[in-house]
Amino acid sequence: MAGTVKLEKLGKPGVFINCTTFDDDAKSASADNGIPTLRRVKISSQEFYKLRGKVETVRPLVESVFDDIINALTKPLTPEEANPSQDMVEQEDQVEVSVTAESYPAAAEEFNRIFLENRWGDGLPLVPPTPERVKWMLSGTKRSPDEALGKINPKQGAATIEKIAINAVMAGAKPEYLPVIIAVIEALTDENFDDLHILASAGSFNLLTVVSGPIAEEIGMESGIGFMGHGWRPNNTIGRAIRLSTLNIGQTWPGKNDMALTGRISPHTFFTFCENADFSPWEPYHASRGFKADESCVTVGSVHGESQLNHFYGGMIGTWTAEGVLDRMVEDLVRTDRRGYFMWGTKGVGKYLGSGGGAMNHMIILFPELVVELEKMGFDQKGLQDEIYKRTAIPYDDLTPAERKSIQTAIELGVIPADRKAVFAEALKPGGKVPVLISPENLHFFVAGGAPGCAFSFNYYRIPPYNRTALMTKRITGATLTKAGSA
Amino acid sequence: MSENKVELKLLNPRGVIEAQPMSAPNPRIADLVGKRIGLYWNSKPGMDNFYKVFEELLKEKYPTATTTLLRGAFLIRDDDAETWLPQIDTFVYGVGD
Repeated sequence: MAGTVKLEKLGKPGVFINCTTFDDDAKSASADNGIPTLRRVKISSQEFYKLRGKVETVRPLVESVFDDIINALTKPLTPEEANPSQDMVEQEDQVEVSVTAESYPAAAEEFNRIFLENRWGDGLPLVPPTPERVKWMLSGTKRSPDEALGKINPKQGAATIEKIAINAVMAGAKPEYLPVIIAVIEALTDENFDDLHILASAGSFNLLTVVSGPIAEEIGMESGIGFMGHGWRPNNTIGRAIRLSTLNIGQTWPGKNDMALTGRISPHTFFTFCENADFSPWEPYHASRGFKADESCVTVGSVHGESQLNHFYGGMIGTWTAEGVLDRMVEDLVRTDRRGYFMWGTKGVGKYLGSGGGAMNHMIILFPELVVELEKMGFDQKGLQDEIYKRTAIPYDDLTPAERKSIQTAIELGVIPADRKAVFAEALKPGGKVPVLISPENLHFFVAGGAPGCAFSFNYYRIPPYNRTALMTKRITGATLTKAGSA
Repeated sequence: MSENKVELKLLNPRGVIEAQPMSAPNPRIADLVGKRIGLYWNSKPGMDNFYKVFEELLKEKYPTATTTLLRGAFLIRDDDAETWLPQIDTFVYGVGD
């Protein structure tokens, strides 16, 4: 939809074709992008998705909408279409709700009913965001309630510290968690971060949040057995505050403008955990991103949805050795990433070359015992990156002609960045070995979990569809209730 | 309020959205005779097949109209828009979603 608006604003008349399932989304997006009366033609989702695979099967559907498309291109605009007004845009007033009841449970029930009916909740009971409770939440940060961090997609709602605090109260968070939540929203609203793909796309993409540094322990985050599960108030309510903040500030709703077909797994808390600093012999992850090891940071990353969590074993799940886990990682990366070679030779699906396919980032969670063993083998994070990068390269002679062509095109198009071109040009020769990763730095290691633990990974596009990056680390600042993050 | 009543005043959790300037779609072209019609395919599966049929039907109804198919990003890139727009009079933006 935004593309059609862009072309209209560049002076060409056109029509957007959308499936019926996405009609609300398209209508909302056309208004959000400033042309609420944009011409659209709907086609049946049920029919199109089934029939689109072949020219002959899709023919009756095209015949059925052909005249509609022609009319949309040629029929003069109606006075209403030619004079759009703000009334055509769904807008919410900043109303404050007041509930009166015979008892607190009755008032809480009524408040929850109203908020969910307004689509301001996530389906679980909420804590009432009273002025007193929000003030209490704001006591966790030195930052002004009016400070605006940026805007959240898809509706570009302004993320102020106060709005984040209101949502954090509703999530059941405590004031000492607020600086962590703020840092996550700072990343999501960064001008280079693609929050749209994880908040609105049909692909059920999801958000990973990792807290690293001393603040995790200070606020009581759990990093042992069950670290991604339930029962940990900091982990769970930080994640839930992010969920509610994005839902309310960006104004998303399932099936309306959040089109995740299966929903986003772990929907109330996303995937939120911290590194296990006590048992890790390595520096925290954020040190590899240019931050000081003793600082506290959050790293947010987009990850694939339903099925892209890959296990490499450990603990009691299976007999393991560090070499065995490493072998499984290498096998998995070769299997999954080689499939992307065919995309390397295209510009990708977004604004930036190589976006939305092809080469990947991998967020790999290693359990502390494994890291100790890897350390004995001589690997630090950088060494492990280099080892996996090297071992996952595929001999040139094993590549298909189509794969070779795609990689060559990627070099020529600039999908492979300038600083990596020489590496790939040298590898793409008889006797060479072609990496499946653009760079060793596309491997990101987080140490988390208890003993016994388990190694696994998420992956996602190195470059996302709608912005420059989907992996970002931010320093936690402004904390008043913890020593860490107080600068 | 009665002493037995409980009142909850609740702050609004929704983000403030700045109103966008509104604009209208461009005036339509009168008919498609002799016109150049751009067909934008955002690379999602099946729109190529849809457009093949559309082009056939268009040729039957408007034999002098021509089409230009462009496959590109979900959201058309600036450089694609810049080179494509001078080649067309009107466009269809097709999406798999």
